Amino acid sequence: MMLNLLRRLAARHALFLAVSVILLGWFEYLICALVSTVDISGAAGQIIKSLPPSLRSMLGEEFLGGLTTRGILAFGWNHPIALALGAAIAIVLATRGIAGEIESGAMELLLSQPLSRMNYFAAHVGFAMLALAMLSLSGLLGTAMGQHVFDLKAFATGDLFKLVFNFLLLQSAWFGITLLLSVFGRERGRVASAAFFLALISYLVQVIGRLWPAAAFLLPFSLYTYYSPQALLVESQPVGNSLIILFSAIAVSLGFAAWHFQRRDIP
Amino acid sequence: MLSLQVNNLTKSYGKLRALKGVSFSVEAGEVFGYLGPNGAGKTTTLRIILGLVYANSGELRLLGEKIGRAKCRQAIGFLPGEFNLYGDMTGLAVLDYFARFRPARPPALRDRLLHAFDVQPAVLSRKIKFLSHGTKQKIGLIIAMQHDPDLLLLDEPTTGLDPLVQQAFREIVVDFASRGKTVLFSSHVLSEVEALCGRVAILRRGEMVAVESIEHLRHKMVRRLQARFRGAAPEDLSNTPGVTRAQISGSEAVLWVQGDVNPILRRLAQTNLENFVFPEPELEDIFLSYYRGGENHDA
Repeated sequence: MMLNLLRRLAARHALFLAVSVILLGWFEYLICALVSTVDISGAAGQIIKSLPPSLRSMLGEEFLGGLTTRGILAFGWNHPIALALGAAIAIVLATRGIAGEIESGAMELLLSQPLSRMNYFAAHVGFAMLALAMLSLSGLLGTAMGQHVFDLKAFATGDLFKLVFNFLLLQSAWFGITLLLSVFGRERGRVASAAFFLALISYLVQVIGRLWPAAAFLLPFSLYTYYSPQALLVESQPVGNSLIILFSAIAVSLGFAAWHFQRRDIP
Repeated sequence: MLSLQVNNLTKSYGKLRALKGVSFSVEAGEVFGYLGPNGAGKTTTLRIILGLVYANSGELRLLGEKIGRAKCRQAIGFLPGEFNLYGDMTGLAVLDYFARFRPARPPALRDRLLHAFDVQPAVLSRKIKFLSHGTKQKIGLIIAMQHDPDLLLLDEPTTGLDPLVQQAFREIVVDFASRGKTVLFSSHVLSEVEALCGRVAILRRGEMVAVESIEHLRHKMVRRLQARFRGAAPEDLSNTPGVTRAQISGSEAVLWVQGDVNPILRRLAQTNLENFVFPEPELEDIFLSYYRGGENHDA
């Protein structure tokens, strides 16, 4: 039964996933190409020098990892394109899954089969985790290939895998939160809009919190705070706490979503 | 043997009480009609039987066992009133997809149903989104019936079907019942209910108004007869046995007739009648006959 659902999910999302996976891999590869062919750090350094000292140090350290080649490569994993691709998969899969099927009327027919709600829920969660893992690994492949082809000073393999795991947990947390919204909803569009809005606010909170010390107290409330490729790859800071917080967010959101989905009426 | 037992089912959505103590039972081999106007609670009852909606109180038993776990639905076939199949799949892929949820009950009736509903292989190879409403309804019926369920729940099953296919559907339902299967369906087509059902339940605003045999229902049925006369309409038409109400205006009369129609037809034959219309009764007329009386009947 699970296999039946997984096959259906794969067929339904194949094109969207394939495009997203290829895009992220290609994007990370392209970042390596850019770093090797253009003196980005030099050009960006000139721009940064023209800024006020406080903003200069903050931008340099937080977003470009001190404007080194490694820092810019790490920034490729924190770029809005990479984050948006991950969030898009997380949000689309979670909204199509429950609210979308309730809205279309397919859920009523589906759950009238000898299929338990938990099996249905587990199939969607399992498929989303697989899809997000594929996306993360595709980015990893792009970076690894780029480093190899353009003969860049490579990141340690262990650090790269830690980064990919951190990226996967971040996007899984967005999937969990969106699925939680989805089990309370019955309209795909509204759930997707709410999830997108949350992700955007979370991203902006993280940016503002880092740029403006007075807003730094907001940082713990943004999921993006717990994902920092620069800290991990360039500064080799430990990320254990971030991983624990992201994992907790996934466990709580998915647990609550499963609990509510088991109990809600299917309209 | 009782196939389905519904005892004192209650369901509220916030302040709205959708079902208030609904009880009925259906025997194995019975075709049972579930009637009521929109919002009466028919679909809510079906959804509770399927575990899609949770009742606040009450009990459901299928073949003597409590309904609850997913495996109970192995033996149930269901056609929702409004449903949407996956538009990106072909008709055949959809049938296979739903069949795979019941590995223990292969789609033994599929070929027969495809033939009876005149669904050609070329139609099955097209994507659902390109099929007509009627064809989607046929595929929905095949999904519900292909595994030869013991209990068939159908919500307005003949919507969008042409008369030939409706006839085929009736034959299939009769065959189901003759093999000891139970069919419970809601419908607004009275001729269909009359042709198929042994008993009907009538629901109004979440309350069971009556559970009647179809013969009793026919007897209670109030039909509307319109007559035009050459000259003034006879004033004494309302005194004819069976006429419960009459509106007479000049040469025209509208009569509401309950039970045996022979007395009024004989009376009309004695008049200078120009034309008359005696349409098939609508379900609304039946509902009115029950609702006005405000009685509860249990057959």
